[in-house]
Amino acid sequence: MTAIFKKKNFISLIITQLFLMGCSTHVVVVSEHPPALIKELPYKIGLVLDSSFTNYSFIREKDDEKITISLGKSQSELLNQTFSSMYQSVSEFITRPLRPTKSLDLYVSVIVEDLQLSLPRETSVNVFEIWIKYKLEIFDSEGSSICEWIISSYGRTQTRFLGSQEKALHQATNAALRDAGVQIITGFNQIPEIRNWINKEKAVKNESQ
Amino acid sequence: MKANNLSEVIFGYSFFLTVLILTFISGCSTSTVVDEQKSSSTKLSMDSEEKIVIMGRRHGNSYETEPGFISCIGNNISRSKNLNVMQEKNFLDKFYPWFEPRIAPLNLNRMKIILNRIVITNQIQKLKIRYIVWVDGSTETSKESGSMTCGMAPSGGCFGFKSWDKTSSYEATIWDLRNLTEKGKIKVDSKGSSYLLGVGPPIPLIAQVQGVACEGISNRLKGFFTSR
Repeated sequence: MTAIFKKKNFISLIITQLFLMGCSTHVVVVSEHPPALIKELPYKIGLVLDSSFTNYSFIREKDDEKITISLGKSQSELLNQTFSSMYQSVSEFITRPLRPTKSLDLYVSVIVEDLQLSLPRETSVNVFEIWIKYKLEIFDSEGSSICEWIISSYGRTQTRFLGSQEKALHQATNAALRDAGVQIITGFNQIPEIRNWINKEKAVKNESQ
Repeated sequence: MKANNLSEVIFGYSFFLTVLILTFISGCSTSTVVDEQKSSSTKLSMDSEEKIVIMGRRHGNSYETEPGFISCIGNNISRSKNLNVMQEKNFLDKFYPWFEPRIAPLNLNRMKIILNRIVITNQIQKLKIRYIVWVDGSTETSKESGSMTCGMAPSGGCFGFKSWDKTSSYEATIWDLRNLTEKGKIKVDSKGSSYLLGVGPPIPLIAQVQGVACEGISNRLKGFFTSR
């Protein structure tokens, strides 16, 4: 009798687990980011990405559905690839060094400010959309803050191409990451404070020659 | 007498079924209109190593040109005309970030600004890219009507009727990167109705609207080029 009761409990537990699994979506973003086609500048960059960034996962629980998007690894690779294309060299740090070294010219610390997503059934538009907001803090070689810069990247995909929600969210997140790269490559050196800093560095270099 | 009645019933039923299927098949057909505009009557020449890139426009808020449609055109052209076609994804990666949706050049003046960057010009020369064909448009579903219910029982199947219309509208613009000029435009509009009939197993009668649009645009594009 006890054996039958245990067996029934076990089966109902498995069924419950199966139903719960059916209501959750977990996307691990894997992507290859292309190098940027741009002329690199002769500066050495320290890229500060802490564990909350490198292990970043977005979790949303709404209407008995759980959506998890793990994009920490992919976004760290994107930033490494992007800054490596833009500058002579990139060194990665987990925390900003308390005593910055003279050998690096700039430190860039990046955090995820926000991630939002919308699904076709919520908007009645036939697309999956992702918005990622990043905050970049830029410091000079002495550790003094130069400026803060916020970018908001966007990616979408259309449901009709894709079989599953996981695949669609993966593609939309990849598009948003690619868009973040576009904004950094085309906009970073155009930030007024960074442009001034580059001009100053050039002037110092010309004087010393 | 009974046999006569039975054969009449069978004949009547077959006739009804044939008429029904013919009606649906004729309803399934697509209508396509293709227009083209050429800057000159001579065909666009290419060296054997030079390449064409077919690119989709994705800057709009409400739609984006489907990657599948772009591959369809690329495959059609490369197969039948022996022209070198570079895959869209490959081109986007090689020229990242300059042709991404946020900053892709929408006209030749913007393209000229992009080509002022020496790294981009060098890459174009290295990869021997001669023409870019921008395809803008999408396929939309409209006028959905009817409903269908399907049972789970072994004797089940589906019962009901569903229909929908699809409209494809695309425009292709050819840019010559050697002298930075527009060489022509092709516009294709295609529409058709599809049906799903549920009498036991569901019978789909799907109009290949996008496929017809792809074929229409590819055939005209092939007519523009001549390979050496």
